[in-house]
Parts: sequence; structure tokens; C-alpha cells
Amino acid sequence: MEALFPMIGWAVGMALIGAIAFGMLGLVSGTDETATIAPITLLVILLGVPPSGVFAFFMAAVTAKHITHAVPTTLLGIPGDTMAAPLLRDAQLLRELGVPHIALRKAISGGVISALIAVPLAVLFAWILTPFADAIGAVAGWIFLGAAFLIAVLSKSRWAAVFALLPFVLMVLGLNALTTSLLDRTLTVSFFLGIATGPLIFDLFLAASPLGRKSLQRQGKREFELAGDKRTWTGRMPSPLKVLDRRQAGMTAGAASISSATFVFSPVAMTVLMGEVFGSRIKGAYQRLTTQMSVKNGTTESTYIAETLIPLIAIGLPLSPMAASVAQPLFNAPPVYTINAETGETNNLHNLLEPWQFLVFGLFAVLLALLITYPFAMTQAHRAAKWIMQKVSHEAIVGAFAGLLMVICLYEGGLVALFVTLTVGLVGGMLNKLFAVHTGVQFMGYYVAVLSVPSILALVG
Amino acid sequence: MSQQHDLEPEQQDLEPEQQGLRPGQQHAAEAEETYLEVWGDTVSSKHLLWSILMGVGFATTVFLTAQWFFGTIGVDESMVGSYSLLVGLAACVAVAVVCARLFKPKRSLVETDAGSDSRESAMDAIEAEVGPIGDPDEFPAAVLEEVKMLGLYDDFKQRHERKQNEPAADASSAAPSSATKEGDK
Repeated sequence: MEALFPMIGWAVGMALIGAIAFGMLGLVSGTDETATIAPITLLVILLGVPPSGVFAFFMAAVTAKHITHAVPTTLLGIPGDTMAAPLLRDAQLLRELGVPHIALRKAISGGVISALIAVPLAVLFAWILTPFADAIGAVAGWIFLGAAFLIAVLSKSRWAAVFALLPFVLMVLGLNALTTSLLDRTLTVSFFLGIATGPLIFDLFLAASPLGRKSLQRQGKREFELAGDKRTWTGRMPSPLKVLDRRQAGMTAGAASISSATFVFSPVAMTVLMGEVFGSRIKGAYQRLTTQMSVKNGTTESTYIAETLIPLIAIGLPLSPMAASVAQPLFNAPPVYTINAETGETNNLHNLLEPWQFLVFGLFAVLLALLITYPFAMTQAHRAAKWIMQKVSHEAIVGAFAGLLMVICLYEGGLVALFVTLTVGLVGGMLNKLFAVHTGVQFMGYYVAVLSVPSILALVG
Repeated sequence: MSQQHDLEPEQQDLEPEQQGLRPGQQHAAEAEETYLEVWGDTVSSKHLLWSILMGVGFATTVFLTAQWFFGTIGVDESMVGSYSLLVGLAACVAVAVVCARLFKPKRSLVETDAGSDSRESAMDAIEAEVGPIGDPDEFPAAVLEEVKMLGLYDDFKQRHERKQNEPAADASSAAPSSATKEGDK
């Protein structure tokens, strides 16, 4: 117990850094969670931060980003990140109605409620699941196969997405075989980067080709309408429970509970689903839109939190789409955290922290992130959005991302990793843009290749 | 009602510098009119190319130099990669700052207070995609208060009354269109 004080110190400090850094990054539209949170968490781990600090950093980062990502989504009508995409249309409609600040406040208040509910619930579900952890680990490959099928069928492209999984999985298998022969190991981060930044890579390839460039050409600048700022309260800033009416708060809490339990599904898919399920029960388009803002943004918080905590506490293997992408470094960040592929033995946060520590540090980090970002988004959203729109050019963001791709690829596996990212990015970007096979399906495809295919081959051969 | 913050003047400041980069390109002014839409926003192809070259060139150089440097001064081998990564990420941030200073945004930002004409078309879109707005007087008390505070009450009420007078139009737009629903991404 003498180590408790440094442990708390690390948790407080790292949670603070995570909340501020990713609260700010959330304001920049298009900053994908996997592309930003995963590499920086990896960095924190590799730099030698103790487990409590790593965990608090991650939880605060995720929570803060999904509060502030609502700012560009609602005020500018461009999604803050991947998880903000399902909120976009509702936000646009409310924005055109002239009440974007209401869309924002409903969204972030939903986020606050869901985040606070999700932590204890996820710990509870993890505790229930723990006795079955071995059984789940044994059939993990089949679970991922089923989940991939389901997510693909439920996507916009329906069966086309299911069939598109096949070439995608084959590509992953081929690239893995190639990197194994060249580097004696397989790559992970490079695949995720490729999938996450696929649409960007695809656009850049198009821009480089004289033929494709024509399809990107636009006359004149893109016009953005920044909605005016209105303060809808007098006196003290209202609590989330005041911003939402009782029914909205109840539905948000309900969605948070359901989505905390269904930890094997894609967070984006769950967000859309929860919005539909709860939204369709509401009469009146205005009420429906505002409720969907709250429920959907709440679900972006609860899925991220629960899908990290449940596999981390109960199993120790990255057995959820979230754990497999954004939270991947918490499970597997050699040489600090490791998973032995043959024996399934783990040495990661699952082994290094106790369940009560997950609960306490998790709640603390989430609470700290909310205390920083909620008042900020309630009062400063307009000014922050305006500053970014006027000062930060899109060229600068794309340039920094190009640099980021280079650095992370070179870090993971030199030029080989770079080629893997470009391949996955180009193919994934095409699937995404031309066939609406979204990144959730592609992430699942990656895990089918890595986890399900060996199970299938074992059965066949 | 709306105030235009066009960024054109700031961009013009850049003109001489650009031509300095590529002398002899007379049609530079013409090219300014056409932009490329990449990753959801408009960019100038020339500025984009420079940004990417700077991002890739600078970040890669810094990362490789850092890797070499930490390797030679005898930093623990397992940490060389992560320190270099940290330095590389800092280089990316630096590139973003420099590019943001060099290349101004190609967007025009309009601040709106959403006039009543746009609200009318917004209500059309909402009724087509989501469903009927309904009679605000039948809203639950909390929602009614919210709608009144936002100044939406009169518009909702007007629309509802108009709808009731032309029941045919009401029936046709009452069914939410599933075709335009937000996709299950």
C-alpha cells in the first residue's frame, strides 16, 4: 500500500494531460480516434508511465474527445471524428433550424450522463463475465467472425459489404505473410492507420492522378456557416440533467446501459442503432432530433468506455472493436505490455491493475475530463470553433497527418510498414468511398483475418 | 442577418511569395479560382502539395535523425523508438503550425443568426426526413418551455395550423422517408 500515493499522483497528472490534449483535439474536425488516441497512448506506455497513469490518461482522453467533438459537428456541420458521423445529419437539421447550440448542449449533456453510468456498469458486466473469460477466449475467432458478418450486413451496403470482406481479409492475410517474411513479425498499428486514414489516402491518390483530380475539383471556396452563439440560461451554468428533459435523460441512461453490455459491436453501429431504437419511440420531429443528439452522443461515450473496460478487466484480450483499435495499446504494446500469441498469456493492464482500481481510477479520470470539457463546451464552443475555422487551414491538417503517417509507420516497421499503410489505405478508402463499406467493417475484417482465419483453418485442416 | 468573413484578402498577401516559389507561372491567379475537395474541405492543390512535402520531409528527417541521435548517445535500446516517436510527433505539430501560418484556410466563414427563410426550408427537410413536427401546444411541458425560449414556438405553431388546413399535403409528408435516413455507418 505504500505505493498508493505515487499511483494516485500519476493517475491525476496523466488524466489531466489526456483530458486537455484530447479535449482540444476534439475541436479539430476529422481527427479520427484510432489515428490520434492509439499512437499517443502507445507513446505514453513506451515512455514508461506506470499502469495507473496510462489507464487514467486513456480514459480521460476518450471521454474528453467525445465531449468536444460535438462542437464542430453541431456548430459547423462537419463531423469532429469518426464517432461523430452518426450525429451529423441530426445536427445539420437542428443547425438549419437555427438552434445548433441546443444540438450541442443536448449532445454533451447526454455524453456526461452516459460516461458516468458506463464506468460502474462496465465494471459490473466485466465481473459477471470473468468466470467465462477462458471460454470466450477459446472461441474468440468465431465471435469476431459472427460480429464482422453482422456489422457488414447492417451497414449501408448490406450484402455487398459482406462479400467485400473476403478480398479485404485476403489482402490482410497477404500483407501479414509479406511482413512476416520481411520483418519476422506482423504489423498492427500500420493496418489501423491505413483503415482509419483510408478516405484521406484515397483522396490524395485521386488528386495525384490527372483523371481523378477532375472529380475533386470545385469552383470557389467551400462555405461554412457558423451559427451564432446564444446562451440559453441565466445565472449558473445548468447541470446536464437540467439541459435534458426527464425523458431524454432516461433514454440516454437506457442507451448507455444497453450499449455498455453489447461490447462486441462496432461503436459506430451501436450509436446509429441506439439513435434509431430510442428516437423511433418519440413523437414530434423536434423532440426526436434533440433526443437523438443526446442518446447518440451518450452512446459514443458508453461504447468507448465499456468496450475498453470489459475486455480489459474480464479477459485481457482485445475482444471488442474498440479494444482492437483505439484501446489496442492497453492490451498489446511490446515490449511493455505483451500478449503471447501461442499460449494466450497476457502481461498488460489486465494483470497490472485490480478491478477496484479500474473502477476508481476510471471514474476519477472520466469525472476529471468531464469537469474540464463540459463547462468549456457550454461556454466557449463558438469562439473555439471560429478560431479554428479562421486560423487552421485544411492544408496544415493534411500536411501534419501526412507527417504523422510517416513517423508512425517508420516507427512500427520502416518502409515495409509505410507500404502496408498505403495499400490498406488505398483499398480501404475505395471500399469506404465507392461502396460505403465503412471503417467498422474493415476493422472487423482485420480481426477476422488475424483471429478467425486461424480457427477456421484449424477446423478444416 | 449574416456577416461574411471572407478570407480572400489574407490569402492575397501570400501571392508574391507563391510566385517566388514558382516564377514564370502566369496562370497562378486563374488557378486560385478552382480548388480541390480533399478529406471534406477545399484546398489549393499547390498549397496542399507543399504542406504534404513539408509534413513528410520534415517529420521523416526529424524522426530518423532522432533515432540515430538517441542510438549514438547510448539511450536504452527499448526506449530509442519511443523517444524518437515523441520527437517525430512534435515535428508534425510544428509542421501544422508552420503550414497554418503559410497557407490560409480556403473556406469562407459566414456567421448566421438563421433567418426565418432558412428556418422554413429547414422545417421542410425535417418533416421529410424525420417526421411531422406536430402541434407545439401538445408538447410535454418541459419541451414546450424549451421551444418557446428558443423562439421556435411561433414557427412550429404556424406550420401546424397550415398543415391542418391542407390535409392532403400533410398526409404526403407525414410518412418519414426512409431513403434519406442517416446511413448505418
